[in-house]
Amino acid sequence: MPNPVELPSPMNAAGYATRRVTKPPNWHELVAFDMLFNNMTTGLFLVAAVGDLMSRPAFAPLTRLAYPMALLFLTIDLACLVLDLGHRFRFHHMLRVFKPGSPMSLGTWSLTAYSIPLGLLATIEILERVGIGGVPTWLRTVLIVSGIPFAMGSAMYKGVLFSTTSQPGWKDARWLGGYLTNSAIAIGCAELLAIADVDGQGPVLSIRTSLLALLAINLGFLVALRAELRPVFRTLKGGPRLDQMLILGAVVGVLVPAMLILVSETVPAIAVAILDGIAIALVLAGNFLVRRSIVMLPHHENDDGVVGRWDGGS
Amino acid sequence: MPGLGASFGRGAATNTQQDFINSDCILIMGSNMAEAHPVGFRWPMKAKERGATLIHVDPRYSRTSAHCDLFVGIRTGSDIAFLGGLINYVLTHERWFKEYVLAYTNASVLIEQGYKDTEDLDGLFSGFNRESRSYDASEGHWGYEGSPGDRPDDAEETREAAGRGGQGIHGYGLMGGAISHGQPRSEMTAAPAGEPPRDPTLKHPRCVMQILRRHFARYTPETVARVCGCSAEEFTRVAELLCENSGRDRTSMIVYAVGWTQHTTGVQMIRAASILQLLLGNIGRPGGGIMAMRGHSSIQGSSDVPTLYDLLPGYLPQPAADPGHDTLDGYIEHEGLPTGYWVHFRKFVVSLLKAYYGEAAQPENDFRYDWLPRIDGDYSQLLTFERMSRGEMTGYLVLGQNPAGGGPNAGLHRAGLRQLDWLVVVDWFPTETATFWKNDPDAPTPDQIKTEVFLIPAASSPEKEGTLTNTQRLLQWHSKALDPPDDCRSDAWFVYNLGKRLRALYSGSTDPKDQPLLNLTWDYDHKSPQRLPDGTLSRIEGEPDIDRILREINGRKLDEIDPRTGRPRLLSGFSELKDDGSTDSGCWLYGGVYPEPERNRAADRKVNPGQGIQPDWGFAWPDNRRIMYNRASADPEGRPWSDRKKLIWWDEAQQRWVGHDEPDFEPEKPPGYRPAPDAEGMEAIAGDEPFIMKPDGVAWLFAPGAIKDGPLPAHYEPVESPVGNRLYPDVAHSPTVRLLRGPLNPLADTPTPEFPVVAFTFRLTEHYLSGPMSRFNGWLNELQPEMFVELSPELAEERGIEHGGWLTVRSPRGRIEARAMVTRRIRPLLVEGRTVHQIGLPFHWGYAGASVGGNANDLTSVLADPNVSMHEAKTFTCQVEPGRLAGPVARPTVPPTAWPDTRPIPETPTASQPEGKFVRSEPPQ
Amino acid sequence: MTTRELEVPATAPPSGPVATILGPFLPVDRPEPRTPTGFYTDTTICIGCKACEVACKQWNQLPSDGMHWSGDSYDNTESLSATSWRHVKFIEQFASAGTQGPSRWLMMSDVCKHCTAAPCQHACPTGAIIYNEFSNVYIQPDICNGCAYCIAACPFGVITRSNLDGHAHKCTLCYDRQRDGLVPACAKACPTASIQFGPIDELRDRARRRVEELKSRGTSSAYLYGDAPTENYSNLHSFYLLVDRPSTYGLPESPFNPWLRMRGDYLRSLFGGLAGIVVLLIVWTLRMP
Repeated sequence: MPNPVELPSPMNAAGYATRRVTKPPNWHELVAFDMLFNNMTTGLFLVAAVGDLMSRPAFAPLTRLAYPMALLFLTIDLACLVLDLGHRFRFHHMLRVFKPGSPMSLGTWSLTAYSIPLGLLATIEILERVGIGGVPTWLRTVLIVSGIPFAMGSAMYKGVLFSTTSQPGWKDARWLGGYLTNSAIAIGCAELLAIADVDGQGPVLSIRTSLLALLAINLGFLVALRAELRPVFRTLKGGPRLDQMLILGAVVGVLVPAMLILVSETVPAIAVAILDGIAIALVLAGNFLVRRSIVMLPHHENDDGVVGRWDGGS
Repeated sequence: MPGLGASFGRGAATNTQQDFINSDCILIMGSNMAEAHPVGFRWPMKAKERGATLIHVDPRYSRTSAHCDLFVGIRTGSDIAFLGGLINYVLTHERWFKEYVLAYTNASVLIEQGYKDTEDLDGLFSGFNRESRSYDASEGHWGYEGSPGDRPDDAEETREAAGRGGQGIHGYGLMGGAISHGQPRSEMTAAPAGEPPRDPTLKHPRCVMQILRRHFARYTPETVARVCGCSAEEFTRVAELLCENSGRDRTSMIVYAVGWTQHTTGVQMIRAASILQLLLGNIGRPGGGIMAMRGHSSIQGSSDVPTLYDLLPGYLPQPAADPGHDTLDGYIEHEGLPTGYWVHFRKFVVSLLKAYYGEAAQPENDFRYDWLPRIDGDYSQLLTFERMSRGEMTGYLVLGQNPAGGGPNAGLHRAGLRQLDWLVVVDWFPTETATFWKNDPDAPTPDQIKTEVFLIPAASSPEKEGTLTNTQRLLQWHSKALDPPDDCRSDAWFVYNLGKRLRALYSGSTDPKDQPLLNLTWDYDHKSPQRLPDGTLSRIEGEPDIDRILREINGRKLDEIDPRTGRPRLLSGFSELKDDGSTDSGCWLYGGVYPEPERNRAADRKVNPGQGIQPDWGFAWPDNRRIMYNRASADPEGRPWSDRKKLIWWDEAQQRWVGHDEPDFEPEKPPGYRPAPDAEGMEAIAGDEPFIMKPDGVAWLFAPGAIKDGPLPAHYEPVESPVGNRLYPDVAHSPTVRLLRGPLNPLADTPTPEFPVVAFTFRLTEHYLSGPMSRFNGWLNELQPEMFVELSPELAEERGIEHGGWLTVRSPRGRIEARAMVTRRIRPLLVEGRTVHQIGLPFHWGYAGASVGGNANDLTSVLADPNVSMHEAKTFTCQVEPGRLAGPVARPTVPPTAWPDTRPIPETPTASQPEGKFVRSEPPQ
Repeated sequence: MTTRELEVPATAPPSGPVATILGPFLPVDRPEPRTPTGFYTDTTICIGCKACEVACKQWNQLPSDGMHWSGDSYDNTESLSATSWRHVKFIEQFASAGTQGPSRWLMMSDVCKHCTAAPCQHACPTGAIIYNEFSNVYIQPDICNGCAYCIAACPFGVITRSNLDGHAHKCTLCYDRQRDGLVPACAKACPTASIQFGPIDELRDRARRRVEELKSRGTSSAYLYGDAPTENYSNLHSFYLLVDRPSTYGLPESPFNPWLRMRGDYLRSLFGGLAGIVVLLIVWTLRMP
């Protein structure tokens, strides 16, 4: 056995002061994917629902795909959540109690509540596509309207769940929830754009413009978030790498797609679709990078480990 | 033990651990109590909470030091220099307790004319024989003036007996004053006509006090600092604290353990502490005394009802193959004493023989005294293994011990085991001793080892009942909770059934040599089947009835039948013993532990909160006296020295001694009692003489016999030391030590640059001894998983050793590797003007178990001090180098499993789930 | 293991797949509240014997964590975890040779703080973490599904998830022993009464008296950690008497309850979402074909 390196020396009079007090939760890549798919399903539903309510005729061709896709992403998201549990066959224990004070409980109930109108809407769309129609408009409207708050809740809880912890970085990230919910809308918009491009129908231009505006706002949230995380990035051993990942995520997920969309104004229609496709893929990839950077924060050791201020005891 | 025995009369801790709370100052020296006796350390901590000052003097800053108000780091083995300094400080600053010392010690007694001190003979006492490297106390004139030994030309036959009974036999009793020559010990101290001559003014140059002053004069603070490596200021601070906290109104306690005993001068270290405590007036008083912390569960018990080769139960010396011991009368004449409690010697011996041989022991056949085995040499463990290593033994039986791992110079022990034809090991796990033939990385391959090894599975303590006798002479009964698993059996079962089978093999024999075995009392079967606490019957067959054995130890009146049981009446105490064969007792000292049927006092469990003395918790020998010599807690007139420190006192109205403890004195002897000039036995002890086991009733500052290496302690360097003896330059180490040098036991007994580092072994709380009980346990192994060595940053830097890296320690006996624990808790010392580095080695590892590693005892040496054949594992010299050893390394012999099991944690019982419905997340307030 | 049987109720709970799925949903009688209990750990009399660690593992049948020599004084446990519910910490404070300075070896037995308002309990989405009738924070192992939110929430780093069963575990304050009127295993085993167990009010009084006593004897640095609530954190049902900065002992100097910020975070979260929707509404209203 080779000599171990960097054993803590008993001659350190500061004792445990140089060590991280909190323990990182067992949350890794799967949770970064969960964060992304959460935003993909809730964002897509919300954007589609807003469009649906604003102009049913304009968005009808898109919602036909959007709701089922949102349901698919929700299923993937739930799979991530279940797989990430220590005891996977106990996911249903989440529904044993309703604790609005616990973001995870609220989120689970929101997701559950959201899944019902979404599931029905997706079913209706699929049935209509195979020719079985006849659902009254008011029922659709009721389902959409009832789905919106739960979708919103489902998107909102994730960031709060992370910021309501004692983990380095997460606990300082006041704008994490704001950023995530906001980027859900942006992602949803990008997804709708993809559907529109594939389908060749719907208000593609409006969607493209709105995506541009959303990415711009989203960048604002991301800048605010990074400002909060910067001190932690500096004190962690792997902090600079995570910071780079976050910046890369911002570039890939926000700046480049925005530029591509701006450029697409000037290119032929067929190229627009390709550029759109690239932009949308980059939005997803960039958002994943940002999420991964945030999720992995607690798994990096402190550099100096100063825990906080001390007022001299009681 | 001889240290305490020679000083006070009994070789046991004087006070109880609970009594720590009455102490004002506790000096812990030669003990790492917090780590080695963590449960007992509760009481020093309570004393500290009550305001007592705790002092630790030790080579290593340990978990004990962390809780002491003052820590003084000294060089290992320099304790007598430190204690001698304290004695000198007390004497030169006149801080001794004058009334106490005058009344209760032999300070005023005059010593024989011919006595010469180390001051006169450059480090030797008179009576030293350079050829045999031993002292003859009578030739050296160590006796009281006018005693029978005080004859210029001793009887020729006595001298002859000395030659035969000298070195090698120390079977002359360790307790009441063993003698180092063949003369009856009764003649050593009792002046022919009553009291020995005294000088109450303490001015006479030959009185003990003046000898003491001269002897210790050279132990000045500066000398102490130079020898021990501490500063003179630190030393003076300790001295002042002890003096401030001793006297009429305050008491100090001294605690030691194997940090003192495991030295070639260990007995004299304890003697030095005894002298110091006597001068300060701390013996026999609450919060005072000397606490001998034992190294092992029931070590006290194993000397009381001994596993020692040279003692019979109750500190009766094993008869020697010596003309003086040929007959019972001769034996009693040699070993009994006409004055003091040992006058009852015949009662003890006869009652023991009655217990051994029952009906066969009759007055006309001297109670079969002739059946007792005689000893003709030193059969102590170390010398036995030395003989074994020379191929002089064929078989060996090991119960509850691990010599191949824990024996000093364990390599020699293993070499010994390899010479055996057969070996029986009774233990819980395959220990080093049980697996030496296959797992020792230094040994030849198994096919080259002839020893046949039998490993017998043993029961653990909850699986058997019995008593343990702890540090404070306290017998505590423990019940059996469950049957041992599978073939595991208690040690008692093993010994009892072995005895039964041996008797069956010899049954019908008329050969006289077989008669002791055939007539031995060996009938301990349960009268009715043994039941477990849950009411079920025990599955174990042949388990002896331990309760019966305890009753036999307690003793019975054979001529009186108890109507309640139909059996001989139990004795209420050892005062009922008779010398005519009408009583029996397996160990007189334990008399009273079982005074009536169904009344096992060792099982008493009543607590009186807040008190130091707990008379209703267990049973303490003698006679449930918790603080021995407690007559000394009152002044000569029988009044407590102070209200704060009262323990027992003379009650004029009741005409008896009363108080918080059983008086360690005749309860109705008034303080003013004076013996007649020709009085014998207890009648010769005056009403103001508290040390009743002593023939003269007082404690011995000066030991006129009893100790084989001098009447007073003198500092000698350890056998292996990097420096010479500053105090007595001509005598480096103890002149009477037996070196046992040999190819398997090389020694560096002169300072050598090859081995410049001083090493000592120590104990961790997390492991037990050499680890046979702890290194197989995952819960303990994870707490201290690897062998390490503690060293100072200075030494580490000098040798290029990194913290956490590997180092190699080499001594003349062997070499081991270990991880380096570089810590400031170990400091280099300035000794004799130069830096001496010390390292500390925990001695818990070996090659067997789930956690294996370098064995510190592969480095230690086999030596034998003259009194108890004690080795010197607590100090030796070595060299320290970075890096690992080449060659084979020990591998775990059992897989390091996540013991006990890896099954999931049990589910919550339904009843523990208060929450079944929707809840709010607010706390219930 | 015989000790395991002590944890199993006299009447075995129903088993089988249906009971396993439905069991956690069935209503159970809630026990009557009892006197709140807790631990008071006086680090000044801790002798670092680790008897608490062994007693805890033995009673709760926790597995050994394997053999890793840390080199960090005598602390080879290194941290609290799902399989180590007690952790004795060692801090060697010695001036280097030739210089004057402190020389002491601090020891402290760490454990779950059993916060009066526990973030882990707030976090738990399944209701596995409860305040039991003794006001101790308790994880019901048959409810916990291992979501690990409590691990993230705990500001003291007490909880981890066991690899053996996938659940979060921590000190139960020997709930089972308390129900049977016994003292928790660690407090029972502690030889110097460094770990004291009892009604929390009594413990707080005792601890405050002890601090006064220590101060009067010259230990001016003695203070209690967690006996009283701070602006940002509740008091603890397991509190400590310390003589150095909390961080030296590996405790946060000023623990913060993350739930104090949850409301604001939700508002910002909502703002983020609404901002996006407003953008959609504006753009689509302006540019709807």
